[in-house]
Formats: sequence, C-alpha cells, structure tokens
Amino acid sequence: MTVSSMNPQKNGNEFRADTILEVRGLKKYFPIRSGFLRRATSYVKAVDGINLFVKQGETLGLVGESGCGKTTAGRTIIRLLEPTEGEIFFKDRNQGWIDLAKMSRYDLMPVRSQIQIIFQDPNSSLDPRMTVERIVGEPLRINHTVPRSEVKDRIAELLRVVGLRPEYMSRYPHAFSGGQRQRIGIARALALNPSLVICDEPVSALDVSIQAQVLNLLEELQERLNFTYIFVAHDLSVVEHISDRVAVMYVGKMVELAQTSELYMQPLHPYTEALMAAVPKPDPLRRDRPIKLPGEVASPANPPSGCYFHPRCRYAKEICAIETPEFREVKPDHFASCHFAGELQLRGVLG
Amino acid sequence: MLQMEQTRREDAMNEESILKIEDLHVHFQTDLGISRALNGINLEIPNKKVMGIVGESGCGKSIMALSIMQLVPPPGRLSSGRIILRQYKPEPRLVEVSALGRHSKEMRAIRGGQIGMIFQEPMTSLNPSYTIGDQIAEAVLLHHTDSKQQALNRAVETLDKVGMPSPHEVVNRYPHELSGGMRQRVMIAMALSCSPSILIADEPTTALDVTTEAQILDLIRDLQAELGMTTIFITHNLGVVAQMCDNVAVMYLGRVVEQGPVVKLFYEPLHPYTKALLNSIPRIGSSQKGKLQPIHGMVPDPYAKVIGCPFHPRCNNSKPGVCDKEVPAFTSISEDHSVRCFLYSDEVEQDDGI
Repeated sequence: MTVSSMNPQKNGNEFRADTILEVRGLKKYFPIRSGFLRRATSYVKAVDGINLFVKQGETLGLVGESGCGKTTAGRTIIRLLEPTEGEIFFKDRNQGWIDLAKMSRYDLMPVRSQIQIIFQDPNSSLDPRMTVERIVGEPLRINHTVPRSEVKDRIAELLRVVGLRPEYMSRYPHAFSGGQRQRIGIARALALNPSLVICDEPVSALDVSIQAQVLNLLEELQERLNFTYIFVAHDLSVVEHISDRVAVMYVGKMVELAQTSELYMQPLHPYTEALMAAVPKPDPLRRDRPIKLPGEVASPANPPSGCYFHPRCRYAKEICAIETPEFREVKPDHFASCHFAGELQLRGVLG
Repeated sequence: MLQMEQTRREDAMNEESILKIEDLHVHFQTDLGISRALNGINLEIPNKKVMGIVGESGCGKSIMALSIMQLVPPPGRLSSGRIILRQYKPEPRLVEVSALGRHSKEMRAIRGGQIGMIFQEPMTSLNPSYTIGDQIAEAVLLHHTDSKQQALNRAVETLDKVGMPSPHEVVNRYPHELSGGMRQRVMIAMALSCSPSILIADEPTTALDVTTEAQILDLIRDLQAELGMTTIFITHNLGVVAQMCDNVAVMYLGRVVEQGPVVKLFYEPLHPYTKALLNSIPRIGSSQKGKLQPIHGMVPDPYAKVIGCPFHPRCNNSKPGVCDKEVPAFTSISEDHSVRCFLYSDEVEQDDGI
C-alpha cells in the first residue's frame, strides 16, 4: 500500500469532520472500439468528473434519468468498475482515510467488507442454484469474520433482522416473492456489518405495497446499525422520502446537490425544476404542469457543447452553449452547476 | 328470436357505455392447479372517457385487457361471463365480443380496428426485423386499404400526429434506431392508425423515465381529447391514475374491489385496500419523514383459493367470522361509487364454486 493512499491528509488533503466518503473529479469512460485493431475511437463518458461527499449516517439520494450515469457512479465508487480518473476517499475503520481509486485489488480486500451493495433486480442478483443459506453465508465464509461453527447462527440472525424466517434458509430464491428476494439481497449486504451501503434502485422492481415494506426496513436498519446509504433511484418521491441530501445527475455530470427539502422546494438548476415538474402527482385535483421538458436526454457518447442541458433548457442564453458551468456552492451546502444558479426564479415541487 | 336476443342485450347496457364486462371469469388450467386470473369482473366503460384500472402485479388487470381483445394466451380460457361492445361503425349495434371466435373475421376486424392496444414494453412488442413504416402499414392494410402506398402514407400521417420528428425518415428506420420514448410513440401510432373507438393502454409509461413519461401522458391526453376515444388506462402508478383518468376501478386478485370517479377515489376511498394503497406511497413534496404504512403480507399466490374476501388476510379492518367466510358483493354506495366490502354492506356474493 502506498503512503499516499493511506494517509492523504499528509499530502495536503483536508476532509470535513463528519464525512465517510469524499469523491473528487471521478470519471468513468467506456471506450467505443472500432476498426481492425479495435482501437478506442471515442468514449462514452458515463461519469464525467463528479464531486460529492457523504456524511456519516446519512442517506444521499442519487437521481437522474436512465443513462445519466448514476448506476455507473455507484459501481465505480465501490470499484466494481475501474475508475478512469479521480479520487475516491473512504474513511476506513482501521486505516483512516484511504483513496480507493488508487488501491490494488489485494489491498482493497479488507476494505470491501465495509462497503456493500444492494442491487436492483433480485431475480438476477441472486444465484438460482444457491440456497439462501449459501447466498447470505458466502461473505461470512470468505471473510472469516465469524467462526465456522457460528456461521449458521449468524445467517439465522441476519434473516430475522430483515424480516424473513430462519426456517426458510434451505430454500432456493425461486421459492420467494419479489419483496422477499430483495430482503435476501439486503441480508447478504448486511452480513459483514458494512458502514457504507450502496442501494442501486432497490425498490424499483417491486409493487407499491411491497415497496413501502422494503423502504421501512432500510430506514429501520439505518437507525439500528448506523449505516450510511447512497441511494441510487429514478423515482423522485421515493428518494425524497428516504434521503437526507439529494444529488441530481445529467449526462454524467453532477447538476445539483443539496438538502432534500431545499432541493425539492427551492431548486437552483433548471433541470431539477423540470424533473420535479414531470413527476405525476397522486392528486387528481392538481393536474396543472406548468413546466414541460421537450426533447430527449443527450447521448453521453456525443454530448452537446457548453452546458449539457442547454438544448432543452428554457432559460438558456448564449453563454450556455459555449462555456461549461462549474459545479459550485451557490448557497451554503447547496451546490449547482448552472451559469445562472441563484439568479433564476425556479419553481419547487409545490409550484 | 334474434330480435329478442338483441333487445335483451340493449337492456343490459347503459346508453353512455361503450363496453360492458359481465361477470367475467378467466381461468388458467395448469399442472399446479387452476389459476383464477379473473374471478367475476363487472365493469362498464363510459364512452369517450378515460377509465383507469389500478392494481398490483398479478391482480389480473392485463388479463382483463387481453380478454377484451380475445388474446388470452393458452391455457387461459374465458370460462364464463360476457364482454359486450357497442359498435358505431359501420352501423350502430351491440356485439358480444366474448361469443366471437378468436380467429373469426368479425373478431379480427374489431381487434386493431375498433379496439387499439398499446403494450408496456415497446421493444418486445415491435418486430426488430421490420421497418417502423411496414409495421404500422400492416394494420392499415388489414383493416382499411389494399394499397401499400396509401397504407404507408397513413403511417407517416399517424407518426406525425403522435409528435414524431421527421416521420418521413422514421418510417424507413428499424426499432433499435429509436429511443424508448420514440418507440412508445410508434406503438401509439400503430394503435391509432385505424382510428379505433377504444384505446387500451397497458402500462404504457412504466418502462420510461419521468420526463419521457410526462411527454407520453400529455400525448395520450391530447389525442384522447382530439379524437374522442374511449381510453382504458391500465397502470400500477397512482400518480399516473390521478393525472390521467376520469373513472377508476381498483382490482385485487381478479376482482374489482372499488370503482368510482377519480376524485372520490383519492379523496373518499372506501375499500381498505384502496386506502392502504394510497397510504403506502411516498408523496412528492409532502416532506413527511415519518414511516410509510405498508400493506402487511403479500398478494397470495395465484393457485391458492382464498376463502372469503380476497383481501381479508392483509386487511386491518377484517371482521373474523364474516370476512373469512363469504365474498362480499359489489354494491353501490352512491350513484357512481361502488365497493366490494362488508364494512359497507352485508350483501354476499353467490360463489359459483368453480
């Protein structure tokens, strides 16, 4: 392990007191290869230089339309994907601040148990040929955190925590309903007692009545076990409900980041405003929708010039097509990347 | 005899309704037992209105749509009940859709001609090896004209109507060249190409992003107003229902449990299931930080036969000895609001024991 990755403080880095993760300039480019030699001719800039920090014990919501890079960002942060550029500082329990982006796979191994992920589709993230006992027990056996004789006991405990009966341990995933399968996935993520959990669309495959059960479970677990969540989702009402702070992404870039209620009530970026307005409200007496967003999301392989949002933005001026706006702190703890952030009168979710 | 039959049917249907479903049962006979997908559906669809059908997965809402089109996949079978359609073209009359053969000439004219349908996932409903133009023209050729050129012109026209940019080029493209929202516009164009009087939209925006969803909902609403179509809108998203529908039917386990105008349903829900559904969704802008109230338990598996009210095992107001014995009848509480629950009426539904 290099000195720089172990003690970044010594290299002049400073961290906020209560944060657990700080991401700086993170990029993930996927090459588009063509020709006989399969050379990279251009890149899909799935994540294009994002900055964010996550406080200990909070839930950070990460929202955006499909293709905006929210899932890629989540997976790159835990190094399921190799970052192209940037720094991912994580506060390790034993070593203090470390840069995940620069660590070797071997050095990462002890850190991995502290960061876990819950996947979107429980049907494809659980092996159909493994019993629940093997699925939930696998991380325990690999990491030797529990003596072999107690593994079964720990699995039973984990299943009880997520609201499943330990008797079901010997069953296969197909014997469970969608909501129960998602609970198995949660139990697996909990097995190693992580401090940071990335939830990648954990409820979008579930029915509404089951969604509420799983959201409540995630909240209960956070209270009890003091987890920090990064909650990746496209459903803005779910994200508002569960998150303390919310980050909005558009074509690989961070567009806005603020406290949940501030972001929803007083957005500073026109994209956030349009996104809020598009959510169908469950109230038949509120059918007005003053802001309509025309067009489609730009392709991350060929993004527009300047501000990526300018072709769809109703406030766009000349400068927006030329200069890329900086992601800056417009108000305390409220970040936005818009040339006119703070100057525009934008509507919140209540209009 | 025929005359008598005709009058009996006339009596059975409200003047302002375009479609009536009477005690419809659809069963799937499988090796695991009988799955009762629809268990006695009664529904009247008012003309030129948007009727919403809401329910969780497995409640039978899609099967209901498919049975109107006579497209229930085997081993599914319409075991009893009737579906009656009011036809305006060529001359006004009532047709018993459920009595027509699936492959009969009359049914083929209704399917796609009188009733158009939009499916949930546009990528699986479009054929990847035909151009957009060919696929829309296919329906037009079947119902309206013999001229390929006319059919293609019609395809361009409908694509233009659904807000497709440069429709002349799009007719020569293949589905994979379009984005999700554009594919859904193609599906809508296809359903509208033969100017149907009823449009069935089965979860048309579930696979789309919110901003695209908003565009498609606007489009369906505009087209509905412009063309005066009746729309049956199937969805599980209560926000979409609130924004789109005039009337709503809530389904649970193959039955309609509550039906009424959309405002009543959201502001004075009667059935415990409707209330529970409304309480279980996070509402945007409410900044409520409290716990959501989930519905405990889960939808029983389709082969299990629940004795009594199908919702009683998950219901907080369930009365032991009543709700677990008999199925409540679907009773009207007011002129336009009906519910199936023992909290409001003691009437029992006669179970046919199938």
